Amino acid sequence: MSAITLRNVIKRYGAVEVVHGIDLDVEEGEFVVLLGPSGCGKTTTLRMVAGLEDVSDGDLSIGGARVNEVAPKDRGVAMVFQNYALYPHMTVRQNMEFSLKPLSLPADEVARRVDEVASTLGLAELLSRRPAQLSGGQRQRVAMGRAMVRTPDVFLFDEPLSNLDAKLRTQVRLEIAKLHNRLGTTVLYVTHDQVEAMTLADKIVIMRDGHIEQVGTPEQVYSQPNNTFVATFIGSPPMNMIPARVRQGRLEADGLLLSVPDRFKGVLAEDQAVTIGIRPNGLSLAKDVDHNTAPARVEVTEYLGNEALLDLRAGPHELIAEVPALGRPAPGAEVTVHFDPDALHLFDTASGDSLSL
Amino acid sequence: MNKPSTQQAILVYTLLGIALIVFMTPIYLIVSSSVKPSPIMFQRPPAMIFEPTLDHYRDLFAMRPFGKFIANSLIVALGSTVFSVFFGSIAAYAISRIKHKRMNDVAFWILSMRMFPPIAVVVPYYIIFKTVGLLDTPIALIIVYSTANIPLTVWLMKGFFDEVPTALEEAAAVDGHGLISIFWKVTLPLAAPGLAVSAVFCFIFSWNEFLFALMLTGSNAQTAPVAVMSFWSSDAVQWGRIMAGSFVILIPGVVFVLTCQRWLVRGLTMGSVK
Repeated sequence: MSAITLRNVIKRYGAVEVVHGIDLDVEEGEFVVLLGPSGCGKTTTLRMVAGLEDVSDGDLSIGGARVNEVAPKDRGVAMVFQNYALYPHMTVRQNMEFSLKPLSLPADEVARRVDEVASTLGLAELLSRRPAQLSGGQRQRVAMGRAMVRTPDVFLFDEPLSNLDAKLRTQVRLEIAKLHNRLGTTVLYVTHDQVEAMTLADKIVIMRDGHIEQVGTPEQVYSQPNNTFVATFIGSPPMNMIPARVRQGRLEADGLLLSVPDRFKGVLAEDQAVTIGIRPNGLSLAKDVDHNTAPARVEVTEYLGNEALLDLRAGPHELIAEVPALGRPAPGAEVTVHFDPDALHLFDTASGDSLSL
Repeated sequence: MNKPSTQQAILVYTLLGIALIVFMTPIYLIVSSSVKPSPIMFQRPPAMIFEPTLDHYRDLFAMRPFGKFIANSLIVALGSTVFSVFFGSIAAYAISRIKHKRMNDVAFWILSMRMFPPIAVVVPYYIIFKTVGLLDTPIALIIVYSTANIPLTVWLMKGFFDEVPTALEEAAAVDGHGLISIFWKVTLPLAAPGLAVSAVFCFIFSWNEFLFALMLTGSNAQTAPVAVMSFWSSDAVQWGRIMAGSFVILIPGVVFVLTCQRWLVRGLTMGSVK
């Protein structure tokens, strides 16, 4: 049984539809990340699961029961908000106790749970402080603790790390991963940060304009993107995209001629407009010219330590290549770029869909 | 901020001194006249040094049931304050949270209750209360004062509720709390300064009100301000007793404001979000 199920879920604000019929299954104990640019409907979707937004149409189930009309308090979910939403007039302890009040537990049980979660999250020293006396990272942990004491069926996270500085973000991200490993609770997590999504998720749901573009493991969305949107959204720097045509079994793109890898041979039609996609690490510098290379000029080099990024110009095309930093060419150098045929993606230009099978 | 220079300090303290004199002179006159023996009451220049007497206070409570009038005033003022703050807060919360395009019209309609001149409705009120048998009862005054106090409370509290982040209420809702619990334990405590301000305004208005109290009460429900004026007759003006009464009337207002003062702090929602 799935922990959360969305079937053709639609959200409208008046006449404007912002989420267009989403289908999604979140399995028991799974860590699912909703990933997408701002305004893609991911937070709206999360808030529908929490019960903070009405579902305009479709079915939303938690633990097998349809919850469209169920109040947030009766859904068995706990949520960590982007801005933490701590009660400023309560101490850290009271903040955590407050989410246990509706359960009417005996006082010693309440105290036990709060103490346990507080020690897990390193909040034991801070229990008598108020939110205003805490740092951003500490507030974030209190918000998580407040969700944890209830031992809910489902955790919902709404961009919980976006208000933290880079170093703290990495640290808390690790804590969240450890926490999920230990508790094994189902998690639905919203972010626009692909690093968070890749590192935390069992399953990534990539959204755009109220649609789901792809659902898959981090490996799947990275190595087998469904379409050009996913291909360019995942990965940093993004995948190089080159418009091309199929001509006599080869890919021709304005001065660039590449052979078609065997795996695409059956699906391509002569003169079909395709988009070649290749990640920066699929490009390398070659000594010899063959049917998988193209001449290019180095415009800019970006030194990253172990690797360097080369901004290349090959005819009208701008490419980014990731090469070993040692022995990188200088800006202005003329080089030969090798396109790794195994790293090549092909998309139908009209639909944007992947042509991989 | 820079430390003020000596000249600035002198200027500030001079202005403060003038303000103090302007505001405190009437109080001084009330207090001094209330303990001044009648024979020297109108002496010119005013007697600054005299043997104070409590005769006026004794007369105040001996000749009239002034204690009862004070009690009436307290019942009316506290009653209207509690009633107005309670219902005004609930209404304000609804106006603040319910998103509807005509909600501003509702808010304006409530405010418009305060726009008519009070004197215009004295006679209708008199007829209504006479008909339903509430004339000369504290309940009549509580109702009348609340019609003025509730709009004020609604508008004050709406502003305070608007400032309480809805994320806090959403957090409480997801944490398993219902609407009443959220309002009572999250929203209202964070709007406590608004409650204090509303209560102070309602109390002072109701405590000081004279026109309706004069027209709608008789011997039974008469309030202290009206009672004090009864020492002003066509035969004589009993200044000593009027001043003694005025001073007694001042005290509950001051006590009430000081009680509410500790809630008049801003920044309660600090640290809640971000």
